[in-house]
Amino acid sequence: MSTDGPLAGIKVVECAQGVAAGYAGRLLATMGAEVAMIEPPEGCALRREPPYLDGDGLQSALFSYLGADKRSVVLDLATPEGRRDLAALLTDADIFLFDTPVDARPALGLDEAALRRGHPHLVVASVLPFGAFGPKAGWQGEEINLIHASGEGYLLPNGLSVDLFPDRPPLKIAGRFAEMQGGVTALFATLAALWSGEGQTVDVSVQDANVAIGAFAIQRLGDGSVEHRHERNFRYGGVIECRDGFVELLTLEERQWQGLVELMDSPEWACGPGMDDPAARSARGPDINARIRAWAREHPVAELVARAQRLGVPMAPYNTPADVLSDPHEEARRLFGEVDIAGVGPVPIQTAPFRFGADPLAVRRAPPALGADQAILERSRPREARKVNA
Amino acid sequence: MRPLEGIRIADFTVHAAGPFCTHMLSLMGAECIKIETALRPDIFRKPHTVYGRAGAATFDQVASNKLSIRLNLKDAEGRELAKRLVAVSDVAAESFRAGVMARLGLGYDVLAGVKPDIVMVSISSSGQTGPDSHFAGYAPLFGAWGGLGYLTGYPDGPPVEMRHVMDHSVGMNAAAATVAALHQRRRTGRGAHVDVAAREVASSIVGDTMMVAAAGGYVERIGNDDHRRAPHGLFPTDVEDRWLSLSVGSQAQWRGLLTVMDRRDLAAAPQFETEADRHANREALARIVAAWSAHQDADTAVRRLQEAGVPAHISWSTEDIAADAHLRGRGAIVDVTESGGAVRAAIGRPARFSACDEPAFERGTPRLGEHEEYVFGELLGLGRAAIDDLIDRNVIH
Repeated sequence: MSTDGPLAGIKVVECAQGVAAGYAGRLLATMGAEVAMIEPPEGCALRREPPYLDGDGLQSALFSYLGADKRSVVLDLATPEGRRDLAALLTDADIFLFDTPVDARPALGLDEAALRRGHPHLVVASVLPFGAFGPKAGWQGEEINLIHASGEGYLLPNGLSVDLFPDRPPLKIAGRFAEMQGGVTALFATLAALWSGEGQTVDVSVQDANVAIGAFAIQRLGDGSVEHRHERNFRYGGVIECRDGFVELLTLEERQWQGLVELMDSPEWACGPGMDDPAARSARGPDINARIRAWAREHPVAELVARAQRLGVPMAPYNTPADVLSDPHEEARRLFGEVDIAGVGPVPIQTAPFRFGADPLAVRRAPPALGADQAILERSRPREARKVNA
Repeated sequence: MRPLEGIRIADFTVHAAGPFCTHMLSLMGAECIKIETALRPDIFRKPHTVYGRAGAATFDQVASNKLSIRLNLKDAEGRELAKRLVAVSDVAAESFRAGVMARLGLGYDVLAGVKPDIVMVSISSSGQTGPDSHFAGYAPLFGAWGGLGYLTGYPDGPPVEMRHVMDHSVGMNAAAATVAALHQRRRTGRGAHVDVAAREVASSIVGDTMMVAAAGGYVERIGNDDHRRAPHGLFPTDVEDRWLSLSVGSQAQWRGLLTVMDRRDLAAAPQFETEADRHANREALARIVAAWSAHQDADTAVRRLQEAGVPAHISWSTEDIAADAHLRGRGAIVDVTESGGAVRAAIGRPARFSACDEPAFERGTPRLGEHEEYVFGELLGLGRAAIDDLIDRNVIH
């Protein structure tokens, strides 16, 4: 078995302050690429982003997750020496991944023309909230702005939440959902550009990425249907409260509905006239759901999910993070590696959400201390510069 | 040239996550041959009463840009043809339940036998291994299993269901992993069996929270709140259900907001002095911002906030997105002409490439079996009589 990862040999220079570019870099690193984070002397902004792993606000969980498997090089790009060192690193690299705002690029020598001229072989991946081209290229966007600029924000919540709180504003997905999508899309586009063999610039926008993954809303608009969170429900199923937690239930196929009837011990209401007709059931959706909700409240999650899966009924528990960490399935698949966080100790960390065989990828390195890998500069500096610094 | 031009995909995927993966690869220039059978059409080709509507659900978007052939995989000859197609492909993609391809006689071992360096991509709810690998699932189940659903919701409410974005997140991860596997093949000559578990994609999105939970920290759903920024969330405007999303972190952003709100007096308010103060008093602050925003035109407010350096955007409906000049100028939204002549908005390429800025779309949704002459004739070298014979015997069906 090879232990070097599918992207062994690929060199990446990452200059990221945000989650999207940082996550693309993390996945490149966990797949075996050598990823050097260029950090300003005060460290990249993600190092200071909550939530924290310790009580002192020193170890960011977000940075730890995104920084694992990377190396850290401190460069002050405000100085000519810093910019020269970066240029030397880029000469040696395959990919430059960065999220510097467009208007800040020329002063740092990072505008497109300068990068293309200086490093024609390089795949330059720009990852910005709204991209590097177009009327909004200079716009700022945090997670909450991006998920709402891309359509999914307006469509949430749904089901039980919107039934309970119909008058509240829309709701974001937990964490950095939109930015992570931007990161995965950046990873995909960058690897595709590298595959082509042509040095080029890839312009990734977190908004574009999320508009893409919201594809079906655009499609339904073409079909003449405008979605809204108040109507965008499955007719029955969805989030269902049980005795000790919540499950998700979704029966799209007739045999799955029949399985659900059996799971509920074939109550009279579910076997009555018309109930074997999907269209009639759909018309009675809210009534059916009220009955499913009343039934489920009497049963524990684990028992229902186990029986449902045996009967071919798609049902899953709403796992807490702790549930996921200790789930026998995730354990069997060795989804979580371990990194040693200074002042905290060993912490499980998800490797990657995909693998290249039966074994998961390994997380090999803890997130680096600031400037832990300055030595990388020595091997990439032009000979004269090495002498000057000696 | 588009970046993945020259790559060919034998596409066995169904539903949403798998077809979205191969659709993304096709938008990057790969040739994608969708394999279907009239015996068991893709569930997304069929009307979906569960949505309370009669029309086909969501097929066009993920099927467009692909080539279509019919192949009856229940038939031994059909499976042989599938293998011959894999033998001239770089990638074989599937999204059945774990074990189905093997039972069809088309598992990774078999496909690697006919094409030793094949990259096989398997997309499933819980992965190819492990005690739950046989579990059936759809997008909302992936989000629930992986912890993302639990963490999403109002602090005083239940968890929230993830919909198609969950499917497509899985597809985008799978597309990225596929290209990574192609790089590995280029370097080592080896193929790979790429295993994408949808529930692992859901958990990866909240990977930092998993670490917090493991370290004994506080993990709950926080709705539209942020761990440090305030004001943060959705604010009303002068039109009902037209919301302003706002995120204020730094002192500069705070000053920018106060300028736009014409509330410079608040700069001296001790309860809002630092980021930590504003976060601690975020409910009072939200009331002040909402009182202002409720009288604002959303577009004007966003433009002024952005000019002042404050991250802001309207909570856009799908209609806003489809009409937007920025997204259309970037090719993120394109118009596609379907075979019936109807023009519809569709998502375009997910990124722009300086080496090839051509639009990514070549065609709309193919008719079932539209490209059999090219695939069976040109690629597999079958003559017309042989193809007709296979059709007569329901092998091509």
